[in-house]
Amino acid sequence: MKRLWTILTFVLLFSFVLSACAVPAAPAPGGEAAAPTGPRDFITWYQYDEKNEDPASDERVGNQYLRDTIPQFNEAFAGTWNWVNQPKAWDRMNAELVAAVQAGGDVPDLFEMGSSGLTELYKNGALQDLSEWAQAQPWYADMDPNALQACTGPDGGLYCIPIAERPHLVYVWNDRFPEGFPTTPEEYLAAGERLKADGLYAMTFFGSTDFNGNGATRAVFMTFSSFGGGYDDGAGNMLLNTPENVAAVEFLRTMVQSGYVPEIAFAGGFQEEEAFKDASAGSFPTGLFGYRYVNPLTAPNGTEYSKGNEEDMLDAIAAGDVILRPFVAPEGQTPGCNNEVTGFGIPVGAKTPEAAHDYINWIMTPVQNADWVLRPGAGFPALMTTRASEQFQTPFYQQAGEVVAASACRPWHGSLERRPEALRLIMGAVYRLIKEDPTADIAAVLQATQDEYNAGN
Amino acid sequence: MPSTSPPQTQTKKKRRERTRNLLPFWLILPTVLVLLAIQVYPAIYTIWLSLHERQPAGWEYVGVNNFTRLFNMGIFAESAGHTVVFLVGYTSLTLVLGFIIALLLNRKLKLSGLYVTLLFIPWIIADIIVGIVFRLLVVPDYGLLSGILQNPAIFPPNGISVLTAARPPSWVGGFPFPPAAAMVYLIMASAWRALPFITLLLLAAMQTVSTEVVESSRMDGANGWQVVRHIMIPLMLPTLVVALFSLTLGGMNGVGMVFSLTGGGPGSATEVLSYLLYVLGWSQLNFGRAAALALLIAVINWILILGTLRVTRVEERTH
Repeated sequence: MKRLWTILTFVLLFSFVLSACAVPAAPAPGGEAAAPTGPRDFITWYQYDEKNEDPASDERVGNQYLRDTIPQFNEAFAGTWNWVNQPKAWDRMNAELVAAVQAGGDVPDLFEMGSSGLTELYKNGALQDLSEWAQAQPWYADMDPNALQACTGPDGGLYCIPIAERPHLVYVWNDRFPEGFPTTPEEYLAAGERLKADGLYAMTFFGSTDFNGNGATRAVFMTFSSFGGGYDDGAGNMLLNTPENVAAVEFLRTMVQSGYVPEIAFAGGFQEEEAFKDASAGSFPTGLFGYRYVNPLTAPNGTEYSKGNEEDMLDAIAAGDVILRPFVAPEGQTPGCNNEVTGFGIPVGAKTPEAAHDYINWIMTPVQNADWVLRPGAGFPALMTTRASEQFQTPFYQQAGEVVAASACRPWHGSLERRPEALRLIMGAVYRLIKEDPTADIAAVLQATQDEYNAGN
Repeated sequence: MPSTSPPQTQTKKKRRERTRNLLPFWLILPTVLVLLAIQVYPAIYTIWLSLHERQPAGWEYVGVNNFTRLFNMGIFAESAGHTVVFLVGYTSLTLVLGFIIALLLNRKLKLSGLYVTLLFIPWIIADIIVGIVFRLLVVPDYGLLSGILQNPAIFPPNGISVLTAARPPSWVGGFPFPPAAAMVYLIMASAWRALPFITLLLLAAMQTVSTEVVESSRMDGANGWQVVRHIMIPLMLPTLVVALFSLTLGGMNGVGMVFSLTGGGPGSATEVLSYLLYVLGWSQLNFGRAAALALLIAVINWILILGTLRVTRVEERTH
C-alpha cells in the first residue's frame, strides 16, 4: 500500500512538471473552442506606456497618445476587441519578439516596429507576410511606394505596414550662422573655425558607438550619402572603401580633430543633445523625430524654451530661432539623408490577427492616421492623402518638407541584410578613424570593415 | 496468533531494505528533475544552437561555422584582451583593498559595527544602478567629477574625459595595455561594488585566525607585514580562494556594469567577452554565434577555476 502511495505521489509530481513544461494546446480548428462571452483582448507591443504619466518621461508624447486612443479604439470596437498594450523598451523589442516567437510563448497581435529591424525579424521567422491582406485594403493604393519598399522583405513579401516616414535633417540655431547655414563642407569647416574662436562648436552629433552603432544611421550616413557614398553595393555586399566615403570620413575627421565638435558628442546615451540644448553647438544632424527629445532649449539670444516637452523645439522653429536645413554636400552632390519607416508588423503566432487587421484599418482612417503620425510616428505620413492634409502644413512640417525635397533620402541599409551587424561594424570603424586614431589609413580601415562583413555573405 | 514463516519474514525484510536503499534516490529525484530542466537542458540546447543558424524557414545546421565566424571577427580578439585586463585589474584591486579594509576592521575599532553596515551598502545596489550613477559622475561637461578630471591643471596636458578618452597606444603588440581611462574607471566601479562582500568574507576568515599564533609570532620578532605574509595569508588561503573564484566568475560573466556604465565604449575600449555575448544575442539576434561564444566563455571559466585551484594547492603544499 505504502509503495503504491509513493508511486502515485511521484507520478503526480512528474505530471505537474510535465504539464508546466508543456506548450499550451492550440484551439481546435473549426471554432470548436468555447465562444468568448465578451470582447477579446487585442494585445499590442508599443515602446510607449499609457500608465506612465511622468511629464518628464522621454516618451511622454507616445504615452499620452495611448492614453487618449485606447478608449477611442475600445469604443469603436465595443463588444469585439479590448486593446491591451504591453510596453516594451525600444531597443529590446525586436529581441523580445524573436525570443517569444521561437520559444512558442505569448506574442502580441500587433508590434510597433521600424524598417531598420525588418531583416533580422524576417530571418528569425518572427513576422507574417501581409502582402495579400494589405493589397486587398482600400488604403494600399494611396501608400508612398518608397515606404512600402522599406517594409518589403528579401523574399518580396510585405512584412510591415508603414505609417510614418522619418527622414533625417539638420536642426540649426539660426543666430550661430549669421550668413546662413553652410551648404558645402568647406563652408561648414570655415564656420567651425569661426565658432571655435568664440568657444562654440559648429556641430554636435551621435558620435559614439553606443546602442549597437546606431550613430551610423544618423549624421554618419548623412555625411557619407551627401558626399555621394553609402554603405552597400546594391547587391547585398557592404561597400565602404570608395573615394566618396573616404572623403566623407576625412571631412568628419577634420571637424572632430579641429575641435568643431564637442567632446560630449562621443559620450553615448544621447548626451550629444546637451550641446544643442544650450546652443553651444550650432547645428545638430539627426532624425526629424529628434525634436521630441531635445528640450528644454536656450537660444543663442538667451530666449528660453522651457516647457520641457516636444513643444519647445516647435516653438523655437516657429519663432525662427531654430531652422531646419539639409546637410552640407560637396559641389555637384545632393545632400543625402537616411529615411526609415515606422509602422506595424503582425508576429507569427499572433492569437487574433484579425484584431490587428481591424486596428490597422482604423489607423488608416484620416483622423487617426494624422494623429498617429503627428504623435508616436513623428514623421511624414506614408499615406499620400494624409500628407496633403492641413495638419502637415505647420512651419515645422513646411520646413521639413522643403529639406526633404532638397535632399536625396533613402534607407541607410540599402541592400544589406544583416543590419545590426553592419551598423556596429560601420560605426566602430568610423569612430576609430575620426576620434580614436586620426592617423589611421581611412581606405585600409574601411576595406577591412567591409571585408569582415562580406565574409559572412 | 499466526506466526510468519521464516521465508516470508525474509522477503519483507528484503523489500524493506530495498525501499530503504531506494529512498535517497526518490528524495533527490525532484531536485534532479529541476536541475535537468534548468541546467542540463539549456546547456545541451546551447551546444545545439552553436551548431545552427536561423534562416526564415527554420534552423539550419552549419557545423562549426559559428565558431569560425566568431574567431574571424576583429572584435573577438579585442574583447578577449579587454577581458584579461579587466579580470586582472578587478580581482587584484578588490582583493587588495578588501584585505586592507578587513585588517582595519579587525582591530576592534569603536563603532566597527556601524562601519561594517555602511560598508555593505554598495553590495545591495544593483550593478545596473551602480553603472548609471558612476556614469553620471563623469559625463563630459556636467558630470560631478568632470570638472576635476577634465581640468588640465590637475591632469595635464588635457585633463581626462573618462567616457570619451581614446585608448593609449599599446605597449605589447595589439594587447590593450595600458587600458583606456574608461576601462580603469570600470574596474574601479566594479571593485567598489564587490568590495563589501569580499571585505566581510576576509574579515570573517581573519577573525578565525588564532590570536595566540599572531601574538607568539610577534614575540618571536615578526613585524606586521611578516605576520600578514606568513601567518594570516596561509591560514586564510581557503577563503582567499573562494573570494578569488567569486570575483573571477562574477567578473567574467557580469554584463550589467559594462552595459550601464560604458556600453562597451568609447569605441570598443571596454568591450569584454560577456558584453560581446549580449550584443551578439540581443542586439544582433544572432543566437547561433552567441551560443558559440557562450560555450567558449564556459570553457574559459573552467580553465580559470582549474588554474586557480592548481595554484592554490601548490601554495597550500608549500606552507
